[in-house]
This record gives sequence, C-alpha cells and structure tokens, in this order.
Amino acid sequence: MNKGSKRLLTITQNGLLFIYAIFALFPLIWMVLLSIKSDTQMYTTTFNFTPTLSNYTEVLLKTDYFKYLLDSLIVAGGAVIISVIAGVPAAYALARYDFKKKEDIAFQILSFKFAPEILVVLPLFMIYQTLGLYDSYFGLIWVYQLISMPLLIWVVRGYFEDISVEIEHAAQVDGYSWYQIFFKMLLPLIKPGLVSAALLAFIFAWNTFTFPLLLAGSKIQPITVAITKFLGTDTAHYGQLAVAATVSALPAIIFALCIQKHLVRGLSFGAVKG
Amino acid sequence: MSTTSNSITPDLNKLPFKTRIRPYLIVAPALIITIGIMIPFIMAIFLSLTNYSFRRPTFSFIAFQNWSRILSSREFWHALWVTIQYAFFSTLVEMVLGVCIAMLLNSLNNWFSKFLRVALIFPLMIAPITATIVWQLMLNSSVGIVEKFLNIFGVFNFPWAAAPSTAMLTVVMIDMWVNTSFVMLLVLAGLQSLPKSPFESAKIDGGSAWFNFVNLTLPMLKPSLYIALLFRLMSALQEYAIIFGLTKGGPGDTLMNLSLTSYQTGFKFQRIGQSLPYILVLWIIVFFTAKFIVKKQRAAQRQAAGLES
Amino acid sequence: MSRITLENIHKTFGKVKALDGVSIDVKDKEFFVLFGPAGAGKTTILNCIAGIAMPEEGVVKFDGEIINLVETAKRNVAMVFENYALYPQMTVYDNMASPLRSDLYRQNEDVIKERVYAAAKMMKMENLLERLPSQLSNGQKQRVAMGRALVRTPNVFLMDEPLAHLDAKLRNAMRTELKEMQANFGTTSIYVTHDFMEAMSLGDRIAIVNQGKIVQIGTPDDIYYLACNEFVAQLMGDPEINILSGLLRKNGDNYSFLSNGSEFVLPADAALMNKLAAYDGKSVDIGIRPQHVMYSFSKDAGYRDYQVYSYESIGNKSVIEAYPAGHSGRGDTHTHVRMIAPNGLTIKIDQLIYIDFKLDHTMFFDGSSKEFIGCYNEAGIRALSAGKEEA
Repeated sequence: MNKGSKRLLTITQNGLLFIYAIFALFPLIWMVLLSIKSDTQMYTTTFNFTPTLSNYTEVLLKTDYFKYLLDSLIVAGGAVIISVIAGVPAAYALARYDFKKKEDIAFQILSFKFAPEILVVLPLFMIYQTLGLYDSYFGLIWVYQLISMPLLIWVVRGYFEDISVEIEHAAQVDGYSWYQIFFKMLLPLIKPGLVSAALLAFIFAWNTFTFPLLLAGSKIQPITVAITKFLGTDTAHYGQLAVAATVSALPAIIFALCIQKHLVRGLSFGAVKG
Repeated sequence: MSTTSNSITPDLNKLPFKTRIRPYLIVAPALIITIGIMIPFIMAIFLSLTNYSFRRPTFSFIAFQNWSRILSSREFWHALWVTIQYAFFSTLVEMVLGVCIAMLLNSLNNWFSKFLRVALIFPLMIAPITATIVWQLMLNSSVGIVEKFLNIFGVFNFPWAAAPSTAMLTVVMIDMWVNTSFVMLLVLAGLQSLPKSPFESAKIDGGSAWFNFVNLTLPMLKPSLYIALLFRLMSALQEYAIIFGLTKGGPGDTLMNLSLTSYQTGFKFQRIGQSLPYILVLWIIVFFTAKFIVKKQRAAQRQAAGLES
Repeated sequence: MSRITLENIHKTFGKVKALDGVSIDVKDKEFFVLFGPAGAGKTTILNCIAGIAMPEEGVVKFDGEIINLVETAKRNVAMVFENYALYPQMTVYDNMASPLRSDLYRQNEDVIKERVYAAAKMMKMENLLERLPSQLSNGQKQRVAMGRALVRTPNVFLMDEPLAHLDAKLRNAMRTELKEMQANFGTTSIYVTHDFMEAMSLGDRIAIVNQGKIVQIGTPDDIYYLACNEFVAQLMGDPEINILSGLLRKNGDNYSFLSNGSEFVLPADAALMNKLAAYDGKSVDIGIRPQHVMYSFSKDAGYRDYQVYSYESIGNKSVIEAYPAGHSGRGDTHTHVRMIAPNGLTIKIDQLIYIDFKLDHTMFFDGSSKEFIGCYNEAGIRALSAGKEEA
C-alpha cells in the first residue's frame, strides 16, 4: 500500500469514527445545553443563548430532587453492600472448592441475570403487599439483589480464580487460619476487582427502572422513576427535565470513569478478561 | 489424636467436618438471598393457573384456561412478534455497528480514538430511561434538534415514535444508542488480546487482509462475540424501560412486546393470572436461547484456543 | 525436627492416580531427596506431608504420631513452592516475615528482623528486601520463597524444586549453602528435584519416584551404582547411561556378551558370574556409563568401528554420540553410544571413531523385565555405601 492510499484510509477511518461519535455523544452534550437554557430561549435558538443556572436552582432546591437521589443511593447502595457481604464468600467458594452441584449453583445465580424482570415483579408485588414490603427500602434492596448479586458473584469469582491456589497453601503453611487468609491475604489481592465490580453493580442498580416503577410507591422514589414525573407535566419545563437527567447520570458516569480498567470484565461477568 | 500405630481407620482420610462443610456454609447467605428471589418464579407458574386478580380477595384454580385463552389471542402473537422483531433488529444493528467501531478504534492510535475509547462508555452508563427521555426531547418536533437537522435535507415532521410505521425504528435507534458501546467494548477487548504470532505467520504466508479477517480474526474473536450476543439478545428480548419510557407500548399496540403486555395485563387491568403466561413464555424463550448461545460460545472458545497454539 | 513417615499413601485427582501406595520413612535430621520425572507425584507427596492434600488412604506420621487430621497451619512445616507462591501485595521483607507474624509462630519484630536479615544474607538478596515480588526476576522470587521457609525452625523443610529457576552459578553456590545449612540446623528436609546433580550432591538418601510409586530408595551411591532397574539407571546420570541389548553366552569359564554383531568377553568376577549363570543364553541388557566408554580415532586392537552421530559441548567437557559403522544403525538410537570427550576436538559428523568399553564397570539388567541383575564389585560398593550411611 502506498503512502497516499494509506493516508486516505486513515482519513476515512477517522471520518467514520467522527460521525459515530457525533451520534453517540451529541445527545449528552445537548442534554447539558438544555439544562443551562432558560425556558424562554428553549424554542427559539439552538446554540446561541445566555447560559443560566436557574433550572438547576429550580430542580435542586425547589423539588424533592435530593430525596430522590437519596432514595436511589439507599436502595442501590444497600443492595450492593448486601451483595458484597454475601456474594464475596460465595464467589470464593465457587472459585476454589470442588463441591457437589457447584456449577449448577453458579449457573443458577447467573440465570437470574437473564430472568425477565416483569416475571419477578408480578408475583413479588403480591408478596410485598402481603408482607408490607411494598414501597419499603428493604423490599427494594431485596429485589435489587437480582441485579447486583449475579454480577458480583461472577466477576469476583473470576478474580479469585486468578489468584494462584499455592498462595493460600503458602499462607496455611505459614500458620494462618482460613479466616486470616481470606481477610488478610485474599481480600487485599482482589480489592481493585471487587471495588470495580461493586461500583458497576451500583451503576446498574442505580439505573434500574422496572423494579422501582412497580415495587415502590409514593414513599420511596428512586431517581429513575422520579425523573419521569418531570416529563409528565403538561407545560413541560424541558430545561428542568434536562437538569434532572444530567444530575442523575453524573454518579454513574463518574464511577464508570473510575473503573475503566475493569469495565469490560465486569460487563461481561468475567467472561472477557479485558 | 490417635497414636496407635498402623490402625488405619477411614476417619483419618476424611477432612474434618468443619472443613468439609465450609464451602456450603459460605455459599449459603448468597444462596438464601437468591432463593428468596426464586420464590416469585415458582409462584408465577402456580398463579398462571389461577384467576388471581388484585380486585378480588379470593381466587380459584382454573388449570390451563389462562394459557389456552392467551395462546389463542391476537395480543399474544402480536406481542411475540414485536418481541422478536425488536430483539432481532436491535441486536443485529448493535453487533454490526459495535464490531465496526471496535475495529476502527483498534486500527487507529491517535488522541481521537483514545478519547473515544473512554467517551463512548457514557451512553452505556446512563439509565436507559434517562436516555429515552433525552432522545424524546431531541426528537420532539418543537424543541427537538433532530427535526431542525432533518429540515436541512428537506424532511419535515418526521413522525418518529408517533407513527406506527416509524415507532420500531425509533426504539431500536435509542437501544442502539445506549448499547452499541457494550458490543464495542467487548470486541475491542477481544481484539486487543488477540495473540500476535498467528498474524505474523499469516503475514509471511502473504494472506490478504480479508482472508486474515475471516480465517484468523473472526474465529479468535468469536468467543467475545458470542458473549456480546448473549448479553444483548437476552436484554433486548425483555426490553421494558425504553419502550415504556418512549410510548408505553404505543402508538396503539405497535410496540407492545411480551414484557409490556404482561405488565399491562397484570397492573393496569389487574389480572395477574392472565398476565403471567406472556412472561413465562418469554422466560422459556430466554432460557433456551441463552443455553444455546452459551453452548456455541464454549465451542468457539475451544476452536479459538486451537488456533492460538 | 522430626522423623516423617508415610505409610501406603494413595491419592487420586479425579481419575488420575497421583500416588499409588507410597511409603517412605525419613529419619530425623535427614536430607531426603525425591527424584523423578515430571508428573511422577513428587509434589503431591510434599502436599500430603504439609497437609495441603488429604490422602484417600494411608497415614502421615510426624515422630510416630499420626497427623492426618492436623491442619496444615498446625503441622509446623516450612515449604518452598515450585511456583514461589509469594504474596504479591507484600514486600520481600514482609513475605519472609510472614510466618513469624502468624498467631501460631509469632515472634517479636526484633527477632523477625534478625532472622529475615540472616536468611536474606544467606540467599544473597539483602538489597531486595524493599521490593515487591512483581519487581523480581524468577530466580530472585525463588530465593525469596526459600528465605520465607528458612526464617523458621520447623519440624521439616519441604522444598519443591527450589533451585530450578536460578542461573547455573547461583545454583551451585546455593546447593553448597543448602547442604551446609541443613547440616548446621539439623532440620529434617525433604527436597524435590528433577536435577540429577542436585539429587546426588544434596541427598543423604534419594527416593526415585515414578508414576505415583516409589521405585527405589537408597543413598546416592546405591542408586547410582546399584540402580534397581534400567529406568533408574537412565535417570541417574547425565549424559545418560548407555544401554546395550544382547545375549549372554557361556564360553568355557568365561561369559561373553553378544550385541549387534560384536562379542564382548566379560572380565571375571566370581560373585557376578554366579548371578549371571542363570542368564546363560538369555537376553540381557548391559549399562555402561559414558565415562566408561573409550574411544580412539585410529584403529586399535579390540576397538569397534563406529561413526560419529553428534558432538556437543556440555560445559567443561563434551559428549560424542556414535552409531555402529555402516548406515543401518544410524536412525536406531537404541544402538547409539554416548561417551565423554574433551572440548575442542575437530570431529566431523559421520567420521569413523573406534570404541571400546571398560567392561569391568558394567551393570547387568534382565533383558525382559529390565530389573537389575548385578554389577562388578557389588559387595565393595555396598560396603562403601553402607559405611557412608553410618557416618
């Protein structure tokens, strides 16, 4: 290939990427633009306007927006914490021990990831009504496990499998008990992976819509459900809607940036090492 | 500890009870939680055989009446068709586009491609419902930027989600916006972990670029591709948030897939018993499709391992 | 400090039988070497002693006490793992200090420091103490793994190929150090290796392991001179012993060995000839070590015609491999003969070379079972070997 056609190829490649980049990133930029536009300029101009923070003050200070964020934080955070406490030892056992039904159990846990959410929600709605768990933090945290637990167990299992079993043997020989080995040797080793898996599970839990839509009511309103309320009003304040969307997306995006290195592995449940 | 020499009792060759039950003990908490979530599955099967409704305090067993009624209804077959269409188109577009973008990113190594590798994960990290809302604003005919853009090309009042003929296109586009990055990330990781040596020997053999792609890159990438397909297809088959956020299944019943139909029957019309067959059918589809793809993936992995050595 | 006894140990992994009735008795303060090809089950034996693997059958005893049910941590063994098994998140110092910081073997930090520095000095790695394992070469990692075991005063040292990844010079130095250290500490040591030189120079006794079984146990001399079968004879020695197959025939008072068209008249040795009597007219293999093969480039009386197959340096000397003259034998490596030669000879491939054997150094093996029959001066060798063991 001569120099000229190689150059042409590079330009074409960059050009194609640029077109896709506009498609993928423009909506986000536009969302931020809308959020700093006043209602009066909303319809008249596209890029030419005086930025204002009035939408932000409206949404953040005059609505229950922080309460929604807090609800999301409690429910998603609670789910992730429980998943970590219960899931990490399980991931270890599934990685290390050879016991009966091991692969069945592991696959069972994974199959929840693929279970239709509505299938869980419909009967759970009845159970929750009966038990008084409907519209409660605990009820939501419990069902959010469906999102966070399989992810955590499968991803962390892979990280445990990466640690040579001889390291554990060496620690046993050195005189450490199983608990000491687990907490002092293994957990520090998988910490980066564990933190990323937990953050990714948090992002997914934070973003989920179906569960809170159907199992939360007026008391608890995670942000994904609450945001639709900004859409519902007749005289739509698009700027405020954009603020609600932008702010709710921020934690997920920030966390995603923190865990970039481990993202592929987390997204593929450990199947692609990345 | 026994010190009598040479008396070999079977106990001596068994790990202590405490050690033997440890795996079960430490799996237990996670298992209890997941089994707790499994109860609804079993209940769903049972309730689909009853006439349970939120409106009545009592219900009775009616065997397969719900099932026969639903399987012979137009709603069901329509919902199934919408589900399949949606899953097929969104997965296809995302796979093709995701692979293309990944290959482009992989072949370039400038600041732009490095920036995109990071920036393209943003759509994936935003809640699908939020993404839907943003797109709704963009497609809105009064404030929407897309309308203004299309006007340049002489296209006016493109209906998007408002018309039955373009509604599917619209939701697939939004799904594509959200999820193409997923495929892209997995494929890119796969591309970057490809071993160098087969390509070097192919270079010596003088194979064409296309030959190398078909005979080397693709087979070695297959395991990653199957994983991407598995996750995308499973989630597209049961998509709920994007369709609900955009049109709640409309216009009319244009976008009523199995998930939405089930939701509507159960919650809006409060006929739980009748709502469940829809979603149970979906579950069966998802389960067997997943099993099939996992099997394919394992085979591809073995094949790829063979190519590497 | 203990005597380690294994009685009839069986261990399987899935369908693979890793250990098939292994019994060994390692005396207190002994340096015991497990020697054998890869996959023979040597590491599994160590794991059973350490308690990492639980045998399905058989008992492990420390000083006569059955310890099958004692956890690894409480067995007070120090082990050097073949793949180092260093803790990646800890510095070299912390890695080595780790056993002395566990609840069971805790020492105060001053003692730890002293011991770690002593071990580091012995391992010649005082300058590496602040590094992380990821910053070390394989040889350095291996020394850290050794160091971590050496800081302790265990019942037994278990060492799994601890010198395998060191460069040759360091390996020789370490070998000497190890032997000296073990003599000073007097701690029972069980040492796995597939390096014949290590086995010979370190072991008070050597156990030959193959396919999950113990083939032979004895002093290095026993095993080298009185290998119980051809497998052991071939394993012990580098370059490998020459095995020639042929027929034994009695000619009057003498025996001769017919192989490959040549007749070798065997020198007399009354004890050996008694043993060989049973093999008159039967197939027998003889083993001759390469250093007992004589060669010449001019035709000497009694020398046989061979042609050079290869000439390779193995350090301070070289090995000539030759095949019987005439092309028939070239491809058949069983008829090849290896011999030791100085470096720097001008030798062409396929050139003629004349060979004779120092027959009074041969070992005799049964032609079909490949078991040891006898060798020259057997009684003398046995006496020597027994004498060494006494000392």
